[in-house]
Amino acid sequence: MKRSPWISHYNASSCNGCDLEILACLTPRYDVERLGIVLRESPRHADILLVSGVVNMQNKDRLKRVYGQMAKDKYVIAIGACGISGGPFHEGWNMAGPVDKVIPVDMYVPGCPPRPESIINAIAKLLEGLE
Amino acid sequence: MHDYTMPFGPQHPSLKEPINLALELDGNYITGVKMRFGYVHRGVEKIFEGKDVQKVLYVAERVCGICSYAHSSACTRAMEGILGLEAPTRVKLLRTIVAELERLHSHILWAGFGLHEIGFQSMFMLFWRERERVLDILEAITGGRVHHNYNKLGSVRYDLPKGCEELMRKNIAELEENLPGLIKEFEKNSVVLARFKKVGKISRKDAITYGLVGPMARGSGVKSDIRKIDPYEAYDDIRFNEILEEGGDAYARAKVRLTELGESISIIKQCMSLLPPKPAEKWKWPPIKTGEGFGRVEAPRGEDFHYYEIEDNIVTRGKIRTPTLANIMILEKMLIGAEIGDTPVIVASFDPCIGCMERTMVIDKGKKNWFTESEFRRKFCD
Ligand code: SF4
Repeated sequence: MKRSPWISHYNASSCNGCDLEILACLTPRYDVERLGIVLRESPRHADILLVSGVVNMQNKDRLKRVYGQMAKDKYVIAIGACGISGGPFHEGWNMAGPVDKVIPVDMYVPGCPPRPESIINAIAKLLEGLE
Repeated sequence: MHDYTMPFGPQHPSLKEPINLALELDGNYITGVKMRFGYVHRGVEKIFEGKDVQKVLYVAERVCGICSYAHSSACTRAMEGILGLEAPTRVKLLRTIVAELERLHSHILWAGFGLHEIGFQSMFMLFWRERERVLDILEAITGGRVHHNYNKLGSVRYDLPKGCEELMRKNIAELEENLPGLIKEFEKNSVVLARFKKVGKISRKDAITYGLVGPMARGSGVKSDIRKIDPYEAYDDIRFNEILEEGGDAYARAKVRLTELGESISIIKQCMSLLPPKPAEKWKWPPIKTGEGFGRVEAPRGEDFHYYEIEDNIVTRGKIRTPTLANIMILEKMLIGAEIGDTPVIVASFDPCIGCMERTMVIDKGKKNWFTESEFRRKFCD
């Protein structure tokens, strides 16, 4: 993976807010495809997994499985306050913890939800760091 | 052809949120559906307990990211009812403007998704381009694109900032210019008609028996608009139509949503012309009270209902009934007998908001998968 990362997205009990902003990245205003970033549905095709939300107990195994399906050289970006610390739901009764308690995370994007610009910036930074 | 079961979700290209449908198939036709939820349950109602009323407003908004403002206004309506507060006229109009902007963005988002499901990518992009114009206004008024935190009890957080009205006029004029063309394309395009017409039919009788709300009910000709039935904020002083369609199929529901776009724009314009000059009064802390009450509003997807019990302004019990929770019951009935290829369109025609819907969760621990309340508290809460 050098210049054109394929990303996949998993909603791990987020409130939709972060997912909307990830999708907004695709649309004409932000258009990540001009940078060579393509959103793939299947994690098997993806290099980078964007995870939004705080992981609950039912999602935990699913997320591990999705992470396992990705090919080697995989990276994970946790999107939003929920993915970092649990955000507003950190005291929920059925939480398995923030994303990094379940799978290894390479980068965090703060915000509730983060703006599309900062999500794109995070991916660009990740690529920069790889070189 | 032998029967088999096919999983649909939780990670599926046509779902933006995780649910799991196990579809039992006979050839190309669905003969049974098992739904499995809980992937987005966060226990929001439990989080409410023991929090101050102002904090609950913040968490309530985070039930869902698409209809975030609807939840906070239902919560405000309930709390203001309990505390006996009444917002001034200007505040009411501002809240109405934000609520309608949210309806605009949600319906445009839906139109994009519906078209994405049938592979019509260019229309998806065009609709979402228009959506950004709405988000620009929302951001200018409230400071947030998705979560607004706009309401305070008895007031709103900010008045209109400088230059905001010009931006609103400009963007709304652009929307009025661009949207009708897109809607016309939706109504005329042969691919859209072939995929949406006569798919996922709901009869008027079923719509009433299952207690559907919002565009789902209105698509089958059932009146269900809370803005008309039980007016709140400024909807009493404003003229608008309740959109009804008779078809009952996915296309009729799409029509309801797309026609509501025009209504929302007209409501926003009326509100802007009615705005009185700025109020001089300062915001006061709400009084401290004990009581219970509920608030209901018309979210983009239908009736959103919040119930609260408070003790000296600390919430002791919260209960939310979201529009998708009311609507999802009919999904099984609609899917049985349909073709597997129509599943994405049928699910999309619900405009499901799973984040909203996940109000309960059953954890399967061995054989016993139900708990009494005291067992539940002992096991999971303490
Ligand atoms: S960080 Fe905020 S917007 Fe994102 S999932 Fe959590 S509550 Fe929703």
